[in-house]
Amino acid sequence: MNINQRIFLQFGICIIIFGLIGILINNLTINLVRTGLGFNFSWLFKPASFALAEHPLPYTSSDSYVWALFIGWLNSLKVIFSSLILATFLGTLIGFARTGKNSLLGLISAGYITIIRQTPLLLQLMFWYFVGFLGLKDNMFIQIKNIFNISNQGIEFSGLTFSSEFLALLLGLSIFTSAYIAEVIRGGILSVSRGQWEAFRSLGLSERQGLIRIVIPQALPAIIPGLTSQYLNLAKNSTLAIAVGYSDIYAINDTIINQTGRSIECFIILLVSFLILNLLITNTMEIINRLILKSRKYS
Amino acid sequence: MLKIYISSIKVFLKTLKKKLFSNLFNTIITLLIILFISVACFNTFEWLISQANWKVVISNLPLYAFGSYPPNEQWRPATWIISLLLLSIFTLCGPEWKWLRKNLLIIWVGTIPLGLYLLYGGFGLSPIMSRHWGGLTLTILLTVCSSLLSLPFGIVLALCRQSSLPLIQKLSSIYIDAMRAIPLIAVLFFGQLLIPLFLPVGIEIDRVWRAIFAFTLFVSAYIAEDIRGGLQSIPNTQIEAANSLGLNQYQIIQFILIPQALRIALPALTNQSIGLFQNTSLMAILGLVELLGVGRSILANPEFIGQYIEVYVWLACVYWMVCTIMAILARHLEQRMTINQANF
Repeated sequence: MNINQRIFLQFGICIIIFGLIGILINNLTINLVRTGLGFNFSWLFKPASFALAEHPLPYTSSDSYVWALFIGWLNSLKVIFSSLILATFLGTLIGFARTGKNSLLGLISAGYITIIRQTPLLLQLMFWYFVGFLGLKDNMFIQIKNIFNISNQGIEFSGLTFSSEFLALLLGLSIFTSAYIAEVIRGGILSVSRGQWEAFRSLGLSERQGLIRIVIPQALPAIIPGLTSQYLNLAKNSTLAIAVGYSDIYAINDTIINQTGRSIECFIILLVSFLILNLLITNTMEIINRLILKSRKYS
Repeated sequence: MLKIYISSIKVFLKTLKKKLFSNLFNTIITLLIILFISVACFNTFEWLISQANWKVVISNLPLYAFGSYPPNEQWRPATWIISLLLLSIFTLCGPEWKWLRKNLLIIWVGTIPLGLYLLYGGFGLSPIMSRHWGGLTLTILLTVCSSLLSLPFGIVLALCRQSSLPLIQKLSSIYIDAMRAIPLIAVLFFGQLLIPLFLPVGIEIDRVWRAIFAFTLFVSAYIAEDIRGGLQSIPNTQIEAANSLGLNQYQIIQFILIPQALRIALPALTNQSIGLFQNTSLMAILGLVELLGVGRSILANPEFIGQYIEVYVWLACVYWMVCTIMAILARHLEQRMTINQANF
C-alpha cells in the first residue's frame, strides 16, 4: 500500500466509526429528551435516602449520592483487598501442595482446583451465602464467652463484627481465585528447571531451604504477571457482590439507577471507578515486580 | 505368573512408601488426609442417601432443562440438546472417514441455525417467543451463539491491533484494553438496560439477543488478545516466505497468519468458551431465566423453600458435567490439530 492509500483507508474507517458513534449518541439524546431525564450530574448532591447495611465511614440515608457511592467504593476496596490476601495465601498453599512430593496431597489439591474451576463463581457465592451463613442457627453456633461468635448475622470477634454478606463474598472470592492462583504458582515452580533442584540438593541444602533460597526467587518473575491478572479478575469478580446483597460499588450504582433512572451517568461512574481500580492494582504490581527484579540483580 | 504379580505389588508398595511415607512429617500428612477423606466421604454419602430430599430436583427436571417452554413443544429444545450430545459423542468416538471428518466443523456450525429454528419455530412449527426460553437450553444457546459471533470479531480486532496503520491500531487497543478493564456484569448491564437507549425509537431487540450481543462485545476483546499472542509467535520468516511467493497482503493474512495463529491460540480460545459458559450464569442476576435463574426461581417457590443445598449441588453437577464435556472436546480438537501439523 502506498502512503496515500494508507491515509485514505484510515480516514475512511475513522469516519465510519465516528459516524456510527454520532448516530448512537443522537439516538441517545433523543431517547433521553423523550423520557425527560436529560444528562447531568447535579443529582449527585441530593440526599440518597436509602440505607446501607455496611458502611466503614458514618453514613445515614440523608447523605448525598456522592457519599453513598464513595462508601460503596470503600466497601469494594475492603472486600477486594481482604480476599486478595486470603486468596494469595490459600493459592500458594494449594500450589505448593500440588507440586509437592506427597502424591495424595497433590491429588486432593488437583481435585479442589478442578471442582472450583469448573463451576460458576456466582453459584459458589450463592452457596456460601445461603448455605454457609444463612443456614446457620440464629446465634450461638459457636460461642466462646462473647469473644468469638459465629451466627447467621456474621462473625463477631471481640468487638469487631463482619456481616455474613461480607464473609460469604470474602470466602467465595478467595476460594475461587485461590484455585487459579494455585495454577499460576504451580506454573511458576515448574518453570524452574530440574537442574536447579538437583543442584541445590547436591550442595546439601535441605528441601525447605532450597525452596526458599533457590526455587522461589527464580519462580517469582514467572508468577507475578499471572498473579496480576488474577488480582484484576478478582477485582472485576467482586462486582458479583450484588448476588449476596453486599453493597459494593456496582450494587450501589444499581440501587441508584432503580431509584433515579440515571442509567447513563451511573454507568459512566462505574466505568471510571473500575479504571481507577485497575490502574491501582496494575501499578502496585508493577512496583512489586520492579522490586523483585532489582533484588535479584544485586543479590 | 504369581511371581510377577507379587513383584509388581512390591514395586507398587515401594513407590507408595516413597511417595507417601518418606518421613515423619509426610506420614502425618498422609494419615490426616486419609482420615479427612474418609470422614468427608462418609458424611457425604450419609447426606446423599438419608438426609437430602431430591424431590426438588427430580420433580423439576423439565424446568431445569427448558425453563418455561410450553410443555407440549418441549421436544424441540430436547431434540437440539440431544443432537448436540450425540454429535459430541460422535466427534469423540465416531469412525475416521476422511470426508466426514472434513465436514464435521460445518455440521457443528450448522447446529446453531438448527437450534434457533427449533426454538423460534415458524415454517411448520408453532412460533414461540424468546421470553419462554430458559434453563440449560438458554445457557447453551447463549454460550454457542456468543462464542461463534465473537470469534470473527476477535480475529478482526487482533489484526487491527497488529496493523501498521497507527490510527486503527490505537482505536482497537483502546477498545480491547477498556473492555478488559471493566467487569462482565457491567457490560451485561449495558446490554440489558442501555442498548435500548441507544436505538432509534420504535426499534427493539429482544433480551436474549441483547445478552448475546453484550457477551460478544466482552469476549471478543479477550479472544483478540489470545489471537494476538498467536500472531506474535509466528516467526517473521513465514511472512517473508509468503512475500517471496508473491502473495498479496490479504492472502498472507488469510492463508498464512490466521490458520497458524488460531492453531497456537486454540487452548486459550477453548478456555475462553468454557469460561463463557460459566459466565452465562450472570444473566440470572439480570433477569434471564437460564440454568442458575431456574434454580433461583425454584428456591423462591414456597414448596421448596430452604432446600438450597440440594439445588446448588445439582446445579454445580450440571455445570461441571457440561464444562467437562467441553474440555474433552477441546482436548480432542487440539490433538487433531497437532496430528494435522505432523502430516505436513
